[in-house]
Amino acid sequence: MSIIPPSAPGAAQKEFKPRLAWATGIVVLAFVVLLGRLYQLQLVQGEEYKELADENFVKELRIPADRGLMLDRHRRVLVDSRPSYDVMLTPYFCGKQCDEILGRLGTMLQLSSDELERARATLANARRNEPFRAFTVRVDITREELDQYLAQQMDLPGVDVQAVPHRNYRFAGLGGHLIGYMNEVGPEELKRLNVELDDSRSPQGHYLLGDYVGRRGLERRYERDLRGVDGKERVPVDAKGRRKGDAENLIPEDQRVVPSTPGNNLVLSIDWRLQEFAEQTFPGTAGVVLAMDAKTGFLLTLVDRPAPDPNKMSGRITAAELAAIHSDPLQPELFRAIQQHYHPGSTFKSVTSIAALEEGVYKPNTSIFCPGHFSMGAARWRCDKETGHGYVDFEHALGASCDVFFYQAGALLGADNIAKWARKAGLGAPTGFDIAGEIPGVIPDAAWHDKHIPGGYQRGMAVNLSIGQGDVNVTPMQQLVLYGALATGKIWRPQVVLRVEDADGKELKSFGPEVRGTLDIQPSTRKAVMDGLLATVNEPYGTGNFVRLKELKDVPVTVAGKTGTAQVVKLGAKRLRAEQVSYFERDHAWFAAFAPAEDPEIVVVVLNEHAGFGASNAAPTALALIRRYLELKKEDAGQGGPQAAPATAPAATPPPSRSPVAPASPPPARSPVAPAPPAAPEQPAAQEQPKLGARVAPVGRASHGA
Amino acid sequence: MAPDVSLAGTPQRRLFAHFPWHVAFVVLAISAIGIWNLGSASRSAHSPVWISQTWWMGVGAGVALAVTLVDYRAFHRLAWTFYAGVVVLLLLVMVHGRHVMGARRWLSLGPVNFQPSELAKLSVALALASWFAADSEKRKDGYGFFGILLPFGIILLPALLILKQPDLGTALIVMAVGFTQILFAKVRWKTLALLAGIGVVGAVLVYPHLKPYQKKRVETFLDPGADAKGAGYHARQSMIAVGSGQALGKGWAQGTQTNGLFLPEQHTDFIFSVWAEEHGFVGCLLLLALYFALVTSTVDIAGNARDRFGHFLAVGLTGMLFWQVFINVGMVIGVLPVVGVTLPLMSYGGSSVLVIYTAVGLLANIGMRRFVN
Repeated sequence: MSIIPPSAPGAAQKEFKPRLAWATGIVVLAFVVLLGRLYQLQLVQGEEYKELADENFVKELRIPADRGLMLDRHRRVLVDSRPSYDVMLTPYFCGKQCDEILGRLGTMLQLSSDELERARATLANARRNEPFRAFTVRVDITREELDQYLAQQMDLPGVDVQAVPHRNYRFAGLGGHLIGYMNEVGPEELKRLNVELDDSRSPQGHYLLGDYVGRRGLERRYERDLRGVDGKERVPVDAKGRRKGDAENLIPEDQRVVPSTPGNNLVLSIDWRLQEFAEQTFPGTAGVVLAMDAKTGFLLTLVDRPAPDPNKMSGRITAAELAAIHSDPLQPELFRAIQQHYHPGSTFKSVTSIAALEEGVYKPNTSIFCPGHFSMGAARWRCDKETGHGYVDFEHALGASCDVFFYQAGALLGADNIAKWARKAGLGAPTGFDIAGEIPGVIPDAAWHDKHIPGGYQRGMAVNLSIGQGDVNVTPMQQLVLYGALATGKIWRPQVVLRVEDADGKELKSFGPEVRGTLDIQPSTRKAVMDGLLATVNEPYGTGNFVRLKELKDVPVTVAGKTGTAQVVKLGAKRLRAEQVSYFERDHAWFAAFAPAEDPEIVVVVLNEHAGFGASNAAPTALALIRRYLELKKEDAGQGGPQAAPATAPAATPPPSRSPVAPASPPPARSPVAPAPPAAPEQPAAQEQPKLGARVAPVGRASHGA
Repeated sequence: MAPDVSLAGTPQRRLFAHFPWHVAFVVLAISAIGIWNLGSASRSAHSPVWISQTWWMGVGAGVALAVTLVDYRAFHRLAWTFYAGVVVLLLLVMVHGRHVMGARRWLSLGPVNFQPSELAKLSVALALASWFAADSEKRKDGYGFFGILLPFGIILLPALLILKQPDLGTALIVMAVGFTQILFAKVRWKTLALLAGIGVVGAVLVYPHLKPYQKKRVETFLDPGADAKGAGYHARQSMIAVGSGQALGKGWAQGTQTNGLFLPEQHTDFIFSVWAEEHGFVGCLLLLALYFALVTSTVDIAGNARDRFGHFLAVGLTGMLFWQVFINVGMVIGVLPVVGVTLPLMSYGGSSVLVIYTAVGLLANIGMRRFVN
């Protein structure tokens, strides 16, 4: 049975005819009306509307989001934004004149031929594909250039100057590697970043050519957090791209502006007062100063020298300047703390001690006679002290840094046992620090030697390893973790970001201490090593004793530490003084320490590249830093809370308004016994106001003097 | 005895001999123009909508073809089931619909979102055709007031649900489709006059209950100069776009109103202004000629339908095409107030494209079976 009902074909057709005639009439009429209106609009009034349309454009401007701030642990602003005036060109509005106008901009802004070439290429491309999208010709023009532009504005159709937030590194160069810098995104990178954005369904808009992106350090690591979400403004403009006076009236408000959302702020564990102190105290041309909270593994200080100036790197750096940085033999782009490894020298003796005691080749009370050299077969190793140390035990051997005591331990242990305990102490693998590119260092065992050294492993190599020479290599960060482990028994993952907050100061993410492992050694082993580290600093024969007497004269604190002088080139007949050899052949100076020894709070590692003896060239910085740490602690305790010192960065531009992050702290009264904080080279006459974001506690100059 | 009209017994050759090729040609021509035009309109957007429009048209053509293969009379009794289903969907939208810009019009079906209100146009055309097919035969001297109360109810139930979303444009089209069918069922002149009176009174009564933005649009239409930045913005910008196209237009992708981002909703409701700006009066003449050809061909199909159901269905579907074209173009060029009505086969939108293709499939179906037994 069919679901289709029966019907008589054609039955109704006659009846419909008149109605269909009516319908056709109505349809014809309707189309005539439409055509008539089109005739009126397009042919009769077409000229009029054409003129209107020619003066009728919307330029869509991006309102760039303010990038998140970086604050130190006391909320002092380290990195913020300042307005940069960027010159933009919209191809449609300059029309046929574009090339000429670009030429004039080139003269006005003194563009190099490279820059001009690039701008021309962008113009050609934009003309074809996106004539209505403005592109950047030059970032960050000077006041004078801005004035010049404003004077000629009317003759430069299509050219805009837009105030764009530009990264401002308040302490240019300080902490440079850690903080990183930004520069322009490359075409390949652009694609990759945008795909990542799409995949993560981020509300952030796509990166566009000419955008800046975090390049190194925290800027890169926390790019997504810091970036924020750009806003949009639709501006009605005339045929030459000039903003119309009655912009507000032409487009309804809700369609005109989409506000931007600022990026999130990073609160670092760095104490900037300590950082500044370390930067000023550390005498090295190249090297690293690290300080860590022994109880959490968070860094307090990270000096890494040399470092490129992030303001320069993020701004208008010329190709020549860039080339100079790339070819600098000191390698300023190398993040030494995690990307370079060094022989640990005598600082490694603590590891050899642990291996010797735990493997049972020495007893805690073992005593060895040092005649000034050590022989095995035909080979002969020199002790640091040519006349010899006489009978030495652990305490004395570590304290006076006797080599022979450890040569013998090394010979008894062999490379495998040394490597085993070095690895247990956290060496030979990345520390897990937040920033990419960390290298593992080298902890060579017998197999490693067989693979890498012609002739393979020989016992003598373990003798070299025992004093941190041969092929053992560690990064400064690994040293920090190692001495942190000696201090507390915990192998920390070193961290530097405490919190991520939104622009209003609401906590979004917070990071807690992370222990990667524990240093499992017998209490007797720990005591023997500790005695040696204490002797280094506190016994008259200790290698670091004279430094303590100088730097910590009246400071009641017990410091434990170890000096190290790492040979860079094979020793000649006689150990030479640093001044006697060329820079790159000089020894590296190490000092690693923690304090107070009874209940460690701070771990410090100083590496002064090619500076000679560890005791003279690394220990003073480390001990001074410990002193400063204790002073600051006392100050903070006395005031009932930490103070943010005055921000001493130059360049006070009017701050765009943003909600304050932290409430103002009470005015400080600087402790009279404390030395004045190291003054930045140019102290501005007036107290600088905080810029974007976090408020810095106002510190009156008057109270400082009082 | 009822003639056997099942597919198996139908000589396929005869069917295709009567396939309205001219309708198919016109539809494909408008579709091609529509995709080309979307290519221009979506240049500044990140996602090229013309690609997905092409996919939808492909799917639509498939659906239309499938619809032509089944004798349209099969839809006669299914009409009511379909109608009930659409009403349920409309109720579902009110509860589960996705909020987009302050309205609930969309229903999510897995990865696909669609607007049940688009289906309502078809369901009303089918239901009324089904009703009048039987009923109008009994009323040789035309309908009086009470005779059309039930058809009115059939229209108003979905129309009011759609108005509630709120989607004034689609509700209007649903009503236009239904009223066109009612008019074709022969209503007495006196009744028509009465209805007109009720319409005027109704409009006055309904007006205070419109959304503020809807009121604004009506006011702006009546007095365009009053509010050039607010509600009049769309209308004004679109008239500038159309007018500035002049005789020959600015050329594909050269429209400054289009590229200058002045035109809102440029790839949906205001797509005609993009076409008018870039192709001028000549382009508009061509496009309107195609629409005119489409509508007159389908009027012809209605006139030659072999039965009442086919006739009324063709009338409803023709009404749908015609009113959408007229209201949309009229709105864009400022002869009608701004309401959200899409331009068939030119506006971007999957639901709209599918419904139009289905309607065309049904019309072709009626046309090719006019002589078959």
